[in-house]
Amino acid sequence: MVLLSCESSVSEKVGEKQSKECCTTSADEPASAKLPDESVYNLNSTWKTQQGESFPFNHFRGKVTVAAMVFTHCASACPRIVADIQRIEKALSAEERKQVQFLLISMDPERDTPERMQEFAGQFQLNTQWTLISSTEDATMEMANILGVRVKKLSDGGFDHSNVIHLINPAGIIVHQQQGLSVDPTETVTALKQLLRPAA
Amino acid sequence: MVEIQGGMYSPLYSLDSQKVKVQPFLMDAYPVTNSDFLAFVKKYPDWKKNSVKRLYADSSYLRHWANDTAFPQYLANSPVVNVSWFAAKKYCECEGKRLATTAEWELAAKASPTNKDGSRDTAFRQWIVGVLSKPSGSSTPSIGQTPRNYYGVYDLHGLVWEWTYDFNSALTTGESRGNSSLDNTLFCGGGSFASKDVDNYPAFMRFAIRSSVKARYCVPNLGFRCVRSQ
Repeated sequence: MVLLSCESSVSEKVGEKQSKECCTTSADEPASAKLPDESVYNLNSTWKTQQGESFPFNHFRGKVTVAAMVFTHCASACPRIVADIQRIEKALSAEERKQVQFLLISMDPERDTPERMQEFAGQFQLNTQWTLISSTEDATMEMANILGVRVKKLSDGGFDHSNVIHLINPAGIIVHQQQGLSVDPTETVTALKQLLRPAA
Repeated sequence: MVEIQGGMYSPLYSLDSQKVKVQPFLMDAYPVTNSDFLAFVKKYPDWKKNSVKRLYADSSYLRHWANDTAFPQYLANSPVVNVSWFAAKKYCECEGKRLATTAEWELAAKASPTNKDGSRDTAFRQWIVGVLSKPSGSSTPSIGQTPRNYYGVYDLHGLVWEWTYDFNSALTTGESRGNSSLDNTLFCGGGSFASKDVDNYPAFMRFAIRSSVKARYCVPNLGFRCVRSQ
């Protein structure tokens, strides 16, 4: 992973330069060459965090990640998903927690501005290990399809969606998915701990 | 491409308030063929059979092709199948087009040969049910052999299923809370009563296909065509 992070500054520039063009050929795409084929970090869309910073998605590689797609105006399911992830977080030791990032990916690019995501983070008392990100409608659709999340926009601005918590390894392979709300997190926690280095 | 007039589309499971207004758009008259797709992969080698990333297509990608640039000659004019949603989307983008939304696709597919709304045309509906009830042959027929519809589009029915941009909005579980307060869609009978169009069997089949596939799946009777906004 040290090797990958050394290269990230170069690859991000390449990604930026090409983000405006829809069709690139493989010769122009060295950025993702080192990643496994199945890695979610092959996605080269740009995402904005609750702090208003923009990153290509592969900025998030290199760490064990617990991720879920949500929208901050969601009244019922999403707060429960966040609570479910917090249950997973609580099952980890302080040492283990440091090795994990929690990523909430917005399915509502229209309304989930950095300010709104910041507000949501405050409301749920999310610590600095948590990042909320949103992108364009098209990148969001691709992300939902990469993660296998079903999303249907409703006329009231809300969404019907499947509830999935994804466990992603540092190289971007989805190693486990917890389906549904308020399910027993034991299996997910076990899978998560297997990805972590034992405490020193 | 041919022009499809706009109109209102009622999703299969929906309340009146969930009708979708579709703007006029242009649609490919035919599905994308193996020959078309070959030209694409030659230009964008990332999408060749042996180069595509597994993130974007499962191992059945272009399974009916002998190698990166060859398929049986008799399939040249047949719709390309065994392509993932990602590949279909990329193809359309590289043509300056896009995949149709489900609403757009369904609106175009509602047209019979003589009327832009064929939904009350019994003969038309029976023809669709008829072609769907026949098993597919061992090879995919060529494009353009089904009746031309009102707009001048071919093969929306009776050839292959087609990807739509938002296929993944078809939710069949209790998660689809906006459609029904009960888990009606979990049960075939209950689900069909919640539908606006209970005897439109082909629409249920398309809904079922859309809700059963994932974007990286490559399926032997699932192809695509592109559209463009006007």
